[in-house]
Amino acid sequence: MRKQTELVKGSIDSLLLCLIGQQPMYGYQIIKELEDKSQGYFKYKEGTLYPALHRLEKAGFLAGKWEPTTGGRQRRYYHITNKGKGILEQKRAQWRDFLSAMNMIIQPVTA
Amino acid sequence: MKQELNRYLQSLKTHLTMDPAFENEVIRELEAHIEDSCQELQNAGLPEDQALEKCLTGLGSPKTVARQMYETYNQGTWQQALLAATPHLLFAIIFALKWWIDINILPIMFIIILGIALYGWRHGKPYWLFPWLSYSLFPIVAAGVALLYLPAVWAWLTLAFYIPLVLWFLSFITIKFMRRDWSYSLLMLFPASAFIGWLLAAGQKPGFPNLKISFMYNFAPWTSLTFLVLAISVALFIRLRQRWLRIATLATSGVVISLVTILASNQLGLASFIGLVMLILSFLLIPAFVERKVRRNQSVII
Repeated sequence: MRKQTELVKGSIDSLLLCLIGQQPMYGYQIIKELEDKSQGYFKYKEGTLYPALHRLEKAGFLAGKWEPTTGGRQRRYYHITNKGKGILEQKRAQWRDFLSAMNMIIQPVTA
Repeated sequence: MKQELNRYLQSLKTHLTMDPAFENEVIRELEAHIEDSCQELQNAGLPEDQALEKCLTGLGSPKTVARQMYETYNQGTWQQALLAATPHLLFAIIFALKWWIDINILPIMFIIILGIALYGWRHGKPYWLFPWLSYSLFPIVAAGVALLYLPAVWAWLTLAFYIPLVLWFLSFITIKFMRRDWSYSLLMLFPASAFIGWLLAAGQKPGFPNLKISFMYNFAPWTSLTFLVLAISVALFIRLRQRWLRIATLATSGVVISLVTILASNQLGLASFIGLVMLILSFLLIPAFVERKVRRNQSVII
Protein backbone atom coordinates (compact mmCIF):
# COMPACT_ATOMS: atom_id res chain seq x y z
CA MET A 1 0.00 0.00 0.00
CA ARG A 2 1.44 3.42 -0.95
CA LYS A 3 0.87 6.10 1.60
CA GLN A 4 0.79 9.85 1.59
CA THR A 5 2.91 11.11 4.51
CA GLU A 6 1.11 14.45 4.82
CA LEU A 7 -2.29 12.77 4.77
CA VAL A 8 -1.20 10.35 7.47
CA LYS A 9 0.24 13.17 9.61
CA GLY A 10 -2.87 15.28 9.18
CA SER A 11 -5.17 12.52 10.30
CA ILE A 12 -3.45 11.72 13.60
CA ASP A 13 -5.94 13.66 15.76
CA SER A 14 -8.97 11.91 14.25
CA LEU A 15 -7.32 8.51 14.53
CA LEU A 16 -6.35 9.02 18.16
CA LEU A 17 -9.78 10.29 19.17
CA CYS A 18 -11.46 7.42 17.35
CA LEU A 19 -9.23 4.77 18.87
CA ILE A 20 -9.37 6.12 22.42
CA GLY A 21 -13.12 6.67 21.97
CA GLN A 22 -13.49 2.88 21.74
CA GLN A 23 -11.60 2.22 24.98
CA PRO A 24 -9.03 4.00 27.21
CA MET A 25 -5.49 3.24 26.06
CA TYR A 26 -1.87 4.06 26.88
CA GLY A 27 0.76 5.28 24.43
CA TYR A 28 2.44 2.02 23.49
CA GLN A 29 -0.92 0.27 23.14
CA ILE A 30 -2.12 3.03 20.79
CA ILE A 31 0.92 2.61 18.51
CA LYS A 32 0.34 -1.13 18.34
CA GLU A 33 -3.41 -0.83 17.78
CA LEU A 34 -2.96 1.71 14.99
CA GLU A 35 -0.45 -0.51 13.29
CA ASP A 36 -2.47 -3.70 13.68
CA LYS A 37 -5.85 -2.29 12.73
CA SER A 38 -4.49 -0.54 9.63
CA GLN A 39 -2.39 -3.59 8.67
CA GLY A 40 0.81 -1.60 9.00
CA TYR A 41 -0.38 1.50 7.09
CA PHE A 42 -0.35 3.81 10.11
CA LYS A 43 3.12 3.43 11.56
CA TYR A 44 3.68 6.53 13.69
CA LYS A 45 7.01 7.43 15.18
CA GLU A 46 6.57 7.23 18.95
CA GLY A 47 8.12 10.65 19.34
CA THR A 48 5.27 12.13 17.27
CA LEU A 49 2.55 10.31 19.15
CA TYR A 50 3.15 11.71 22.63
CA PRO A 51 3.14 15.40 21.66
CA ALA A 52 -0.10 14.71 19.74
CA LEU A 53 -1.67 13.00 22.77
CA HIS A 54 -0.62 15.85 25.05
CA ARG A 55 -1.92 18.43 22.58
CA LEU A 56 -5.34 16.74 22.56
CA GLU A 57 -5.22 16.54 26.33
CA LYS A 58 -4.41 20.24 26.63
CA ALA A 59 -7.31 21.02 24.31
CA GLY A 60 -9.59 19.09 26.68
CA PHE A 61 -10.43 16.29 24.21
CA LEU A 62 -8.56 13.63 26.19
CA ALA A 63 -7.80 13.11 29.87
CA GLY A 64 -4.66 11.23 30.96
CA LYS A 65 -4.69 9.20 34.14
CA TRP A 66 -2.04 6.98 35.73
CA GLU A 67 -3.51 3.54 36.35
CA PRO A 68 -1.96 0.30 37.55
CA THR A 69 -1.88 -2.64 35.14
CA THR A 70 -2.16 -6.34 35.97
CA GLY A 71 1.62 -6.57 36.29
CA GLY A 72 1.55 -3.85 38.94
CA ARG A 73 3.21 -1.29 36.71
CA GLN A 74 1.72 2.16 36.21
CA ARG A 75 0.74 3.39 32.77
CA ARG A 76 -0.80 6.62 31.67
CA TYR A 77 -4.18 5.78 30.16
CA TYR A 78 -5.93 8.28 27.93
CA HIS A 79 -9.71 8.63 28.19
CA ILE A 80 -11.90 10.55 25.78
CA THR A 81 -13.82 13.44 27.35
CA ASN A 82 -17.31 14.67 26.42
CA LYS A 83 -15.71 17.54 24.52
CA GLY A 84 -13.55 14.98 22.70
CA LYS A 85 -16.63 12.92 21.81
CA GLY A 86 -18.24 16.01 20.30
CA ILE A 87 -15.17 16.76 18.20
CA LEU A 88 -14.93 13.13 17.13
CA GLU A 89 -18.51 13.27 15.83
CA GLN A 90 -17.69 16.42 13.87
CA LYS A 91 -14.57 14.82 12.42
CA ARG A 92 -16.53 11.69 11.45
CA ALA A 93 -19.12 13.81 9.63
CA GLN A 94 -16.38 15.81 7.87
CA TRP A 95 -14.67 12.61 6.82
CA ARG A 96 -17.91 11.09 5.45
CA ASP A 97 -18.61 14.25 3.41
CA PHE A 98 -15.02 14.39 2.15
CA LEU A 99 -15.03 10.71 1.21
CA SER A 100 -18.33 10.84 -0.66
CA ALA A 101 -17.24 14.01 -2.52
CA MET A 102 -13.90 12.43 -3.41
CA ASN A 103 -15.63 9.24 -4.60
CA MET A 104 -17.88 11.23 -6.86
CA ILE A 105 -14.87 12.70 -8.62
CA ILE A 106 -12.07 10.21 -8.32
CA GLN A 107 -13.74 6.84 -8.92
CA PRO A 108 -13.56 5.61 -12.53
CA VAL A 109 -16.86 5.86 -14.40
CA THR A 110 -18.34 2.43 -14.96
CA ALA A 111 -20.28 1.96 -18.15
CA MET B 1 21.72 -0.25 29.08
CA LYS B 2 20.64 1.79 32.07
CA GLN B 3 23.33 4.34 31.29
CA GLU B 4 22.09 4.85 27.72
CA LEU B 5 18.49 5.20 28.88
CA ASN B 6 19.59 7.65 31.57
CA ARG B 7 21.44 9.69 28.98
CA TYR B 8 18.39 9.83 26.72
CA LEU B 9 16.02 10.86 29.53
CA GLN B 10 18.52 13.38 30.88
CA SER B 11 18.84 14.95 27.46
CA LEU B 12 15.06 15.06 27.19
CA LYS B 13 14.81 16.76 30.58
CA THR B 14 17.44 19.32 29.63
CA HIS B 15 15.54 20.30 26.49
CA LEU B 16 12.03 20.16 27.91
CA THR B 17 12.27 23.35 30.01
CA MET B 18 8.75 23.05 31.34
CA ASP B 19 7.18 23.08 34.74
CA PRO B 20 9.07 20.39 36.76
CA ALA B 21 5.79 18.56 37.52
CA PHE B 22 5.01 18.29 33.77
CA GLU B 23 8.59 17.30 33.02
CA ASN B 24 8.40 14.41 35.46
CA GLU B 25 5.06 13.29 34.00
CA VAL B 26 6.43 13.29 30.45
CA ILE B 27 9.62 11.49 31.45
CA ARG B 28 7.72 8.90 33.46
CA GLU B 29 5.37 8.25 30.55
CA LEU B 30 8.17 7.88 28.01
CA GLU B 31 10.09 5.66 30.40
CA ALA B 32 7.07 3.34 30.67
CA HIS B 33 6.83 3.35 26.88
CA ILE B 34 10.51 2.45 26.48
CA GLU B 35 10.12 -0.42 28.97
CA ASP B 36 7.12 -1.81 27.06
CA SER B 37 8.79 -1.46 23.71
CA CYS B 38 12.08 -3.00 24.88
CA GLN B 39 10.28 -5.88 26.54
CA GLU B 40 8.46 -6.72 23.33
CA LEU B 41 11.61 -6.52 21.26
CA GLN B 42 13.45 -8.75 23.74
CA ASN B 43 10.58 -11.25 23.65
CA ALA B 44 10.99 -11.29 19.88
CA GLY B 45 14.61 -12.39 20.42
CA LEU B 46 16.60 -9.15 20.31
CA PRO B 47 19.41 -8.70 22.87
CA GLU B 48 18.77 -6.09 25.58
CA ASP B 49 21.15 -3.42 24.25
CA GLN B 50 19.92 -3.75 20.66
CA ALA B 51 16.31 -3.63 21.84
CA LEU B 52 16.96 -0.36 23.66
CA GLU B 53 18.81 1.12 20.72
CA LYS B 54 15.96 0.27 18.36
CA CYS B 55 13.42 1.64 20.79
CA LEU B 56 15.25 4.95 21.26
CA THR B 57 15.64 5.30 17.51
CA GLY B 58 11.88 4.80 17.20
CA LEU B 59 11.24 7.58 19.69
CA GLY B 60 13.43 10.01 17.78
CA SER B 61 15.88 12.58 19.03
CA PRO B 62 15.17 13.80 22.59
CA LYS B 63 15.62 17.36 21.35
CA THR B 64 12.81 16.97 18.79
CA VAL B 65 10.45 15.27 21.26
CA ALA B 66 11.20 17.99 23.83
CA ARG B 67 10.62 20.78 21.29
CA GLN B 68 7.27 19.34 20.26
CA MET B 69 6.22 18.98 23.91
CA TYR B 70 7.39 22.52 24.65
CA GLU B 71 5.35 23.88 21.76
CA THR B 72 2.31 21.94 22.95
CA TYR B 73 2.37 23.26 26.49
CA ASN B 74 3.91 26.68 26.35
CA GLN B 75 1.75 28.50 23.85
CA GLY B 76 -0.59 30.74 25.81
CA THR B 77 -4.10 31.77 24.84
CA TRP B 78 -5.01 35.30 23.74
CA GLN B 79 -6.56 35.89 27.18
CA GLN B 80 -3.27 34.94 28.85
CA ALA B 81 -1.37 37.16 26.42
CA LEU B 82 -3.64 40.10 27.26
CA LEU B 83 -3.36 39.44 30.97
CA ALA B 84 0.45 39.33 30.74
CA ALA B 85 0.51 42.58 28.76
CA THR B 86 -1.95 44.39 31.07
CA PRO B 87 0.55 45.80 33.63
CA HIS B 88 2.64 47.29 30.80
CA LEU B 89 -0.49 48.71 29.17
CA LEU B 90 -1.59 50.23 32.49
CA PHE B 91 1.71 52.07 32.81
CA ALA B 92 1.58 53.11 29.16
CA ILE B 93 -1.84 54.70 29.83
CA ILE B 94 -0.70 56.34 33.08
CA PHE B 95 2.26 57.99 31.34
CA ALA B 96 0.35 58.84 28.15
CA LEU B 97 -2.40 60.61 30.13
CA LYS B 98 0.10 62.06 32.65
CA TRP B 99 -1.80 60.48 35.53
CA TRP B 100 1.52 59.65 37.17
CA ILE B 101 1.63 63.24 38.48
CA ASP B 102 -1.30 62.43 40.76
CA ILE B 103 0.36 61.30 43.98
CA ASN B 104 -2.43 58.81 44.76
CA ILE B 105 -2.39 56.91 41.48
CA LEU B 106 0.96 55.11 41.70
CA PRO B 107 0.54 53.69 45.25
CA ILE B 108 -2.95 52.45 44.38
CA MET B 109 -1.59 50.90 41.19
CA PHE B 110 1.20 49.12 43.03
CA ILE B 111 -1.21 47.76 45.63
CA ILE B 112 -3.45 46.36 42.87
CA ILE B 113 -0.43 44.92 41.05
CA LEU B 114 0.90 43.33 44.24
CA GLY B 115 -2.55 41.84 44.92
CA ILE B 116 -2.74 40.31 41.43
CA ALA B 117 0.85 39.04 41.67
CA LEU B 118 0.09 37.38 45.02
CA TYR B 119 -3.05 35.84 43.55
CA GLY B 120 -1.04 34.40 40.64
CA TRP B 121 1.71 33.21 42.98
CA ARG B 122 -0.80 31.28 45.10
CA HIS B 123 -2.63 29.83 42.10
CA GLY B 124 0.04 27.77 40.37
CA LYS B 125 2.30 30.62 39.19
CA PRO B 126 0.82 30.84 35.66
CA TYR B 127 2.84 32.40 32.86
CA TRP B 128 0.93 35.69 32.92
CA LEU B 129 2.19 36.22 36.48
CA PHE B 130 5.76 37.21 35.53
CA PRO B 131 5.18 40.78 34.32
CA TRP B 132 2.95 41.45 37.34
CA LEU B 133 5.64 40.10 39.61
CA SER B 134 8.16 42.38 37.96
CA TYR B 135 6.10 45.51 38.72
CA SER B 136 5.32 44.40 42.26
CA LEU B 137 9.09 44.26 42.87
CA PHE B 138 9.64 47.66 41.30
CA PRO B 139 9.01 49.72 44.50
CA ILE B 140 11.82 47.79 46.24
CA VAL B 141 14.26 48.70 43.46
CA ALA B 142 12.98 52.27 43.18
CA ALA B 143 13.41 52.73 46.95
CA GLY B 144 17.09 51.74 46.57
CA VAL B 145 17.60 54.32 43.82
CA ALA B 146 15.81 56.99 45.91
CA LEU B 147 18.00 56.19 48.94
CA LEU B 148 21.09 56.95 46.86
CA TYR B 149 19.97 60.57 46.70
CA LEU B 150 20.09 60.93 50.50
CA PRO B 151 23.13 62.52 52.24
CA ALA B 152 26.45 60.72 51.84
CA VAL B 153 26.29 58.37 54.86
CA TRP B 154 22.87 57.04 53.88
CA ALA B 155 23.94 56.64 50.29
CA TRP B 156 26.94 54.57 51.39
CA LEU B 157 24.78 52.49 53.74
CA THR B 158 22.39 51.88 50.86
CA LEU B 159 25.26 50.79 48.62
CA ALA B 160 26.71 48.55 51.33
CA PHE B 161 23.55 46.87 52.65
CA TYR B 162 20.29 47.68 50.89
CA ILE B 163 21.37 47.12 47.29
CA PRO B 164 23.19 43.78 47.95
CA LEU B 165 20.12 42.60 49.88
CA VAL B 166 17.78 43.59 47.03
CA LEU B 167 20.08 41.95 44.47
CA TRP B 168 20.13 38.76 46.52
CA PHE B 169 16.34 38.78 46.81
CA LEU B 170 15.88 39.37 43.06
CA SER B 171 18.41 36.64 42.22
CA PHE B 172 16.62 34.25 44.58
CA ILE B 173 13.27 34.80 42.84
CA THR B 174 14.78 34.72 39.36
CA ILE B 175 16.64 31.44 39.99
CA LYS B 176 13.46 29.94 41.44
CA PHE B 177 11.68 30.57 38.13
CA MET B 178 14.66 29.55 36.01
CA ARG B 179 14.18 26.00 37.23
CA ARG B 180 10.90 26.11 35.36
CA ASP B 181 11.92 27.94 32.20
CA TRP B 182 14.54 30.65 31.94
CA SER B 183 12.70 32.35 29.12
CA TYR B 184 9.83 33.17 31.49
CA SER B 185 12.15 34.76 34.00
CA LEU B 186 12.96 37.20 31.19
CA LEU B 187 9.40 38.47 31.36
CA MET B 188 10.12 39.39 34.95
CA LEU B 189 13.52 40.98 34.32
CA PHE B 190 12.76 42.70 31.04
CA PRO B 191 10.90 45.80 32.32
CA ALA B 192 14.13 46.67 34.12
CA SER B 193 15.58 47.43 30.69
CA ALA B 194 13.11 50.32 30.33
CA PHE B 195 14.07 51.56 33.79
CA ILE B 196 17.78 51.49 32.90
CA GLY B 197 16.95 53.37 29.71
CA TRP B 198 15.31 56.21 31.67
CA LEU B 199 18.23 56.45 34.09
CA LEU B 200 20.60 56.67 31.16
CA ALA B 201 18.48 59.32 29.46
CA ALA B 202 18.26 61.30 32.72
CA GLY B 203 21.97 60.99 33.50
CA GLN B 204 23.23 63.55 31.04
CA LYS B 205 25.96 64.69 33.44
CA PRO B 206 28.42 62.51 35.37
CA GLY B 207 27.12 61.37 38.76
CA PHE B 208 23.62 60.38 39.75
CA PRO B 209 20.90 60.76 37.12
CA ASN B 210 18.96 63.99 37.34
CA LEU B 211 15.44 62.66 37.96
CA LYS B 212 13.63 66.00 38.03
CA ILE B 213 9.87 66.25 37.58
CA SER B 214 10.41 68.35 34.44
CA PHE B 215 12.52 65.56 32.92
CA MET B 216 9.91 62.96 33.83
CA TYR B 217 7.19 65.20 32.39
CA ASN B 218 8.94 65.75 29.07
CA PHE B 219 9.97 62.13 28.83
CA ALA B 220 6.45 60.82 29.65
CA PRO B 221 5.25 60.23 26.03
CA TRP B 222 8.43 58.27 25.32
CA THR B 223 8.03 56.33 28.55
CA SER B 224 4.50 55.49 27.48
CA LEU B 225 5.81 54.27 24.12
CA THR B 226 8.39 52.12 25.91
CA PHE B 227 5.66 50.45 27.97
CA LEU B 228 3.60 49.92 24.83
CA VAL B 229 6.56 48.16 23.18
CA LEU B 230 6.91 45.98 26.29
CA ALA B 231 3.18 45.14 26.22
CA ILE B 232 3.25 44.11 22.56
CA SER B 233 6.41 42.03 22.93
CA VAL B 234 5.08 40.24 26.03
CA ALA B 235 1.76 39.44 24.31
CA LEU B 236 3.65 38.06 21.31
CA PHE B 237 5.95 36.11 23.61
CA ILE B 238 2.98 34.35 25.22
CA ARG B 239 1.30 33.59 21.88
CA LEU B 240 4.36 32.37 19.96
CA ARG B 241 5.13 28.67 20.10
CA GLN B 242 8.78 28.48 19.11
CA ARG B 243 11.22 29.39 21.82
CA TRP B 244 13.72 31.05 19.45
CA LEU B 245 10.98 33.32 18.09
CA ARG B 246 10.07 34.33 21.63
CA ILE B 247 13.64 35.26 22.47
CA ALA B 248 13.98 37.08 19.13
CA THR B 249 10.83 39.09 19.95
CA LEU B 250 12.25 40.24 23.27
CA ALA B 251 15.64 41.01 21.70
CA THR B 252 13.96 43.12 19.00
CA SER B 253 11.88 44.99 21.55
CA GLY B 254 15.11 45.62 23.52
CA VAL B 255 16.61 47.29 20.45
CA VAL B 256 13.42 49.34 19.92
CA ILE B 257 13.43 50.46 23.58
CA SER B 258 17.07 51.52 23.25
CA LEU B 259 16.24 53.47 20.10
CA VAL B 260 13.30 55.20 21.81
CA THR B 261 15.54 56.16 24.74
CA ILE B 262 18.23 57.61 22.48
CA LEU B 263 15.72 59.54 20.38
CA ALA B 264 14.04 60.91 23.50
CA SER B 265 17.20 62.01 25.29
CA ASN B 266 18.61 64.17 22.40
CA GLN B 267 22.09 64.08 23.94
CA LEU B 268 22.94 60.40 23.85
CA GLY B 269 24.84 59.16 20.83
CA LEU B 270 25.65 55.96 19.00
CA ALA B 271 27.99 54.70 21.72
CA SER B 272 25.22 55.00 24.32
CA PHE B 273 22.82 53.23 21.97
CA ILE B 274 25.22 50.32 21.47
CA GLY B 275 25.93 50.20 25.21
CA LEU B 276 22.23 50.13 26.06
CA VAL B 277 21.49 47.45 23.46
CA MET B 278 24.36 45.33 24.85
CA LEU B 279 23.08 45.80 28.38
CA ILE B 280 19.53 44.85 27.44
CA LEU B 281 20.71 41.83 25.46
CA SER B 282 22.74 40.71 28.45
CA PHE B 283 19.40 40.50 30.29
CA LEU B 284 18.51 37.81 27.76
CA LEU B 285 21.76 35.91 28.09
CA ILE B 286 22.33 35.91 31.85
CA PRO B 287 19.20 33.85 32.70
CA ALA B 288 20.09 31.31 29.98
CA PHE B 289 23.60 30.98 31.40
CA VAL B 290 22.45 30.67 35.02
CA GLU B 291 19.77 28.15 34.06
CA ARG B 292 22.39 25.86 32.52
CA LYS B 293 24.27 25.93 35.82
CA VAL B 294 21.09 25.28 37.82
CA ARG B 295 19.96 22.41 35.58
CA ARG B 296 23.38 20.78 35.57
CA ASN B 297 22.79 19.87 39.20
CA GLN B 298 19.47 18.16 38.47
CA SER B 299 19.60 14.70 36.95
CA VAL B 300 17.23 11.92 36.05
CA ILE B 301 18.00 8.78 38.01
CA ILE B 302 16.27 5.51 37.15
